[in-house]
Amino acid sequence: MTTLIATSRDYGALIKEDRVHSAIFTDEQIFQDEMERIFHRTWLFALHESEVPKHGDFKRLQLGRFPIIATRDGDGQIQLLINRCRHRGAQVCEAMRGNAKRFQCWYHGWTYDSKGDLVGVTGAEAYDQKFDPEQHGLTRVPRVDSYRGFVFASFDEQAMDLRQYLGATLKYFDIMVDASPTGELQVKPGVVNRTRYRGNWKQVGMDGYHPHYVHMSVFKIFSKRENTTGSAVGALHLEDPFADSSSSRTRGFEYGHACLDFRAQRRPHAEQSIEDLRASDDGRRYVEDMITAHGEEHAKELIAWHGDPHLGVFPNLQLIHDHVRVVVPISPGETEVLMYPVFLKGVGDSINEKRLRAHEAFYGPAAAGSPDDAEIFERTQRGLIADADPWVLLGRGLGREEQDEDGSVAACISDETTQRAQMQEWKRLMTRR
Amino acid sequence: MAKQIVNAAPEAVTTGLVDTATQQRLERFLTYEAALMDEHQYDTWMALWEGNDIRYWVPCNDDDQDPSSGIAIIYDDRSQLEERIMRLKDKTAHAYRPQARLNRNIGGVVAVSREQDIVEVASNFVLGEIRVGVQNIWFGKCLYRLRDSGETFRLLSKKVMLLNNDEAMPNLTFLV
Repeated sequence: MTTLIATSRDYGALIKEDRVHSAIFTDEQIFQDEMERIFHRTWLFALHESEVPKHGDFKRLQLGRFPIIATRDGDGQIQLLINRCRHRGAQVCEAMRGNAKRFQCWYHGWTYDSKGDLVGVTGAEAYDQKFDPEQHGLTRVPRVDSYRGFVFASFDEQAMDLRQYLGATLKYFDIMVDASPTGELQVKPGVVNRTRYRGNWKQVGMDGYHPHYVHMSVFKIFSKRENTTGSAVGALHLEDPFADSSSSRTRGFEYGHACLDFRAQRRPHAEQSIEDLRASDDGRRYVEDMITAHGEEHAKELIAWHGDPHLGVFPNLQLIHDHVRVVVPISPGETEVLMYPVFLKGVGDSINEKRLRAHEAFYGPAAAGSPDDAEIFERTQRGLIADADPWVLLGRGLGREEQDEDGSVAACISDETTQRAQMQEWKRLMTRR
Repeated sequence: MAKQIVNAAPEAVTTGLVDTATQQRLERFLTYEAALMDEHQYDTWMALWEGNDIRYWVPCNDDDQDPSSGIAIIYDDRSQLEERIMRLKDKTAHAYRPQARLNRNIGGVVAVSREQDIVEVASNFVLGEIRVGVQNIWFGKCLYRLRDSGETFRLLSKKVMLLNNDEAMPNLTFLV
């Protein structure tokens, strides 16, 4: 449904195996082409189904250049509708979220229902019989599919099947979902950290190399605590998961997905986590319910993993610690990051409350972690403008990668395997005809 | 905060719940607190807080989003606030270096309730921030619980309702 504007630029030359040209972070024309070739053609994360639970619930979001209304229609289906009246083009919905059975354009009064169908044209007698209201509903995003509540969208009717696109990352979604004993998550409409930084959207990568440096102040504070249980950086419990000597692994998947895989590093700490949980009634019940739901062995793994897949799904979704993160590109040098804390269903309130406190300790505009990330992204953007030596190096660990049986490429936690996977997908999409 | 002032007992905005001398002390105290924040005098600011049962709260998304079922931008008890102060002072906390230059005006200081030596005070502020060549302007309303010793005040709780708490915001790397 989108028009690809031809360009004579050779985007393939900007991406090498071990380096990329800084123009991909700074160039306005490249950014516009990214919108068309990446955001308007591949699969994008849209929302979690729990954000619009009831008929008429809606939420506005941005997919590429398109403002979208996500609705729950009368049949219980989620619709993704472009927020543009089919008459003269005004937005028909200004509220960010809410419940409405109708969307009325206040330019000339045309009205749409939660399916997007045009159900009211003012002065309809002035249109001849050839005017077909059925052809003038709000434009639907043509492909919508979901996995365990995570709703994805594509503007490309020919896009590959979502399951194929997500591939081996599906089991990482399960890590987050199965942290709930009922296998259900809740993302609450309107409960979100919204942050903005002056840097390119691709900076929000998945980087196991930066924590010791960017987050040094956090490590220092943790070293002064007696224990770090309950901190958002569950990964920092007890031993450093960002050491190359640790059993943490970095992974790159097909189609640009990437992961910092802390499963093996966390697994030995299951007993400690369970003991901590058993100190409270809610925690004790959580452990019991997890064992009932998943069996003892898998329940222990899931508890040790903290529901944290640390997964990046190209191009706009990350599942990190206790939150769902959405990356919204604004311009080459400006990006919005939305962080939605995830609530587990089927658990005591104190479990979710503890997760909230852990989340906000590290994430958000005044927390211990996010500001330093944003600061470094901004410093990077200012530096990248100076393109006398334009190559950005992403070759760390290239010689120590291994092919894993699940199809991913794995290496030490600080290796730039993740960025290489993302950049190769960027190249595939940007050079695709 | 506007809502607190609108909903306060009528005398809060007519005769006032505190006498003129106390009103002046309140205004001087909040001006001093603002100056300490503007000048990054973290330890002196921290010493304004009294006791272990304190709360420094900057709500997110909504001025009253319940922290038990939603997030906050800041929701610090004493130990968390002490760690925040450590980070504000830490040269390796990159977002805080270089430090922002700050200038805030406070106003609208109204005592909205008083019970013995505990006084609840509403105020608002306009804050200019300049850092690495970028100027941000922040607006907010505050609601304080203060203990009045007769001579000075001590902070028991402080809630800061930022005008943009449901918008995409840049780093908030200073005290508000």
